[in-house]
Amino acid sequence: MLEVNNIDVYHGNLQALWDVSLEVGEGERVSLIGANGAGKTTIVETVSGLLTPASGSMVFNGVRLDKEPSQRVVRLGVCLVPEERGIFFGMSVLENLELGAFHKKSRKVKDETLESVYGLFPLLKDRSRQVAGTLSGGEQQMLAIGRGLMSKPKLLMLDEPSLGLAPIIVKNIFEVIKQINRSGVSILLVEQNVRIALGLAQRAYIIENGRIIQHGDAKDLLSDEQVKDAYLGTG
Amino acid sequence: MMFGLVAQTFINGITIGAMYGLIAVGLSLTFGVMKILNVAHGEFLMIGGYIAFWLFTRYDIDPLLGLPLVAIALFLFGAVFYKILFSGLVKFHEEIKMKNTLLVAFGLSLIFPQVARWLWTADERGITPFYSGGSFPILGVRIGYVPLAGLIVAVVVILALHLLLTKTYFGKSVRATSENYKAAKLVGINVNRTYLVTFSLGAALAGLAGVLVVMTQAVVPDMGMAWTIKALIVVVLAGIGSVGGAFFAGILLGVIESVSAIFMGPYTVALGMGIFLLILMFRPQGLFGKA
Amino acid sequence: MNNWKQFSINGGILVLLILVPLITSRTDVLTWLYLTLVYIALSQSWNIIGGYTGQINLGHAAFFGIGALAARYIWLHFGLPLPLAVLGGGLASMIFALAIGVLVFRLKGIYFIIGTLVLAEILRLIFYTILPEADVMPMKLLGAYSLVPRYYLSLLIAVITVAVVYWISRSRLGLGLMSIRDDEDAAEASGVDTQRYKLLAFNISTFLAGLTGGIYAYYSAAFRAGGLFEPVWTFDAVIIVFVGGVGTIAGPIIGSVFFVLLKQILSLYLPGGLHVAVFGVLFIIVVLYLPGGLIELMTKFRKRTSAGDQ
Repeated sequence: MLEVNNIDVYHGNLQALWDVSLEVGEGERVSLIGANGAGKTTIVETVSGLLTPASGSMVFNGVRLDKEPSQRVVRLGVCLVPEERGIFFGMSVLENLELGAFHKKSRKVKDETLESVYGLFPLLKDRSRQVAGTLSGGEQQMLAIGRGLMSKPKLLMLDEPSLGLAPIIVKNIFEVIKQINRSGVSILLVEQNVRIALGLAQRAYIIENGRIIQHGDAKDLLSDEQVKDAYLGTG
Repeated sequence: MMFGLVAQTFINGITIGAMYGLIAVGLSLTFGVMKILNVAHGEFLMIGGYIAFWLFTRYDIDPLLGLPLVAIALFLFGAVFYKILFSGLVKFHEEIKMKNTLLVAFGLSLIFPQVARWLWTADERGITPFYSGGSFPILGVRIGYVPLAGLIVAVVVILALHLLLTKTYFGKSVRATSENYKAAKLVGINVNRTYLVTFSLGAALAGLAGVLVVMTQAVVPDMGMAWTIKALIVVVLAGIGSVGGAFFAGILLGVIESVSAIFMGPYTVALGMGIFLLILMFRPQGLFGKA
Repeated sequence: MNNWKQFSINGGILVLLILVPLITSRTDVLTWLYLTLVYIALSQSWNIIGGYTGQINLGHAAFFGIGALAARYIWLHFGLPLPLAVLGGGLASMIFALAIGVLVFRLKGIYFIIGTLVLAEILRLIFYTILPEADVMPMKLLGAYSLVPRYYLSLLIAVITVAVVYWISRSRLGLGLMSIRDDEDAAEASGVDTQRYKLLAFNISTFLAGLTGGIYAYYSAAFRAGGLFEPVWTFDAVIIVFVGGVGTIAGPIIGSVFFVLLKQILSLYLPGGLHVAVFGVLFIIVVLYLPGGLIELMTKFRKRTSAGDQ
């Protein structure tokens, strides 16, 4: 479904990614794990069209993504729920959700999608008239995911959805992510919290200093001694 | 007698202030959404005034009927200049973007008056339709037809803009872009197009204000900067972001000016500028710190 | 070798400029040179704060105006000797800059730009109101009016401003100023007292602008006080510096020569003021594509031709 082949990405003059390749299959749940600053966010931002790779290619369902602007990428069915959520604080919850269905195809079925998002996050329905800036952290994360779903994505990328949230809320949100996946949406998850990430994903890639150093089944990685040492800290 | 004077002063302040508000919303819009401080805003206004003057003298089109034509002309005008000069700058880091776009607009503000002088000479141009000079009394206060028309135009345009920004998908995309550029891209908004339209809309608003200026006062090639400064004062009073805020701040400035004109005479204009400087210096966020 | 060559060229030009009034008495030539020198002084003084320090001061006219007005009063109305008057003009400007400096530098970036613009506008409005009458030179002086001493005064002030900028560009002060221009926060972090440096640059710049105002006080037969504060005094200086080459010594000089030349040539064929439009276009081109101005263009060109020779 999504194929990223050997991309190099620069921030200005600084190279951030070296020869990164990865794959997400139809209906799959995949995680990118690694330390802060390893380049996880850069990968998903590049896929979503915020950054352009200097070399390499990205293909989604047979369409080249690497030169496409973000609005085209969204229309093709790839949506990123960004780090720190990117909520429009001054606008109402409903307006935020409506903006999620910005491109024409999703705008047509906006009302049905809205109902299904409310089904996943009933809380958003109660708060629909409220200004988004007044929501709590967990509610904002739900809104961000809900807004992402409004674009009717085939692939949903989530950047650190657990950031700054209480464990119980994180658990909740990850339940919903699984539910979204069951409805046929592929998931590409960026997480610093390796245990949760590997708990959710079927496969995972480990990033270090802008390079992919390892990948495999989540279960195998969970029991890998090196991974345990480096990321799980329990030994 | 005293009441009449006070009421008249306020009415005058409100009618001129509504026009100030209209001038300021365009400037506020472009700065709020794209962080471009268009210091050529007053020059766009000047050009709008001259187009209305042309329409009136050459084609006998009443300035009020000419409003949509001027708006369209200035919209296209703004779009062309944005495409050629500004669109390449928006990708830069915010501080550099703000400075360089301001400098480009500053360059335009030097060029336009010279071109206008060449096209229309340096003479004052005004429009006097048949109803100008007419007025009607209410409660001992005289209200001129032209200022009243100006007030109505300003209110209608600002209401329409408010509805556009809050009720339509386009308007929501503009507000979203101004709040969070990156998130706007991620929901699929074509930010470059939003910028183009926003800038052009700002120019169109300036053009509409120019029609009011040519009707109630007059246009000269060199007047642009004075109007830009007027708009800046209003925007500073209002804070950025809300269209209604700019409108009411415009009225506030209009009333302050017409009241202080009684006591301070020619220093009135300097008073507005003084308020501007004080707010600028003593509000840590700079003028348009978000409320 | 290059230094020596440069030095002799500059010396030669200076000697030529000193000799001009002895060679010709054509007033048009003298006026043309006088104007160029005034623009050099004005733009070079702006260059210190705008070019080297990166603070785009759009209120430079205020300091030119204060200098001119103070010099005129000291010279004509108090009857003191001209050199004292011109110096007094410079000092008056600097004192005003000292008084408002701390407040003005509360503003950063674009807020500094529009803030200084409005500041000068306030002064312009005030002076048009409190001094509405034209200030005319007494008949006695007008009768004996000669361009030559005006020319020499402008030459002297222009040389002083260029020398000051030259000194700044090679001093620690200049390094500090340029570090502020490039990245104020980084400069602050690396130990530059940015506030003090900015104030210092502001004071030197305004002192020189005041001296330049002094030339005008001596030159002008009649003016209205408010007219000395017209934004055009600022804007001409700004576009000359940018088009010539911002933050360089030669830039404002070349810019001024080009500006006056263009003004003269265009005024033969077209209505006045279009040279400003042309410079406006050049200004925008410089901002968008050629941050080094004409100087950069000339260096590139020279490099290319010398590379072609080899």
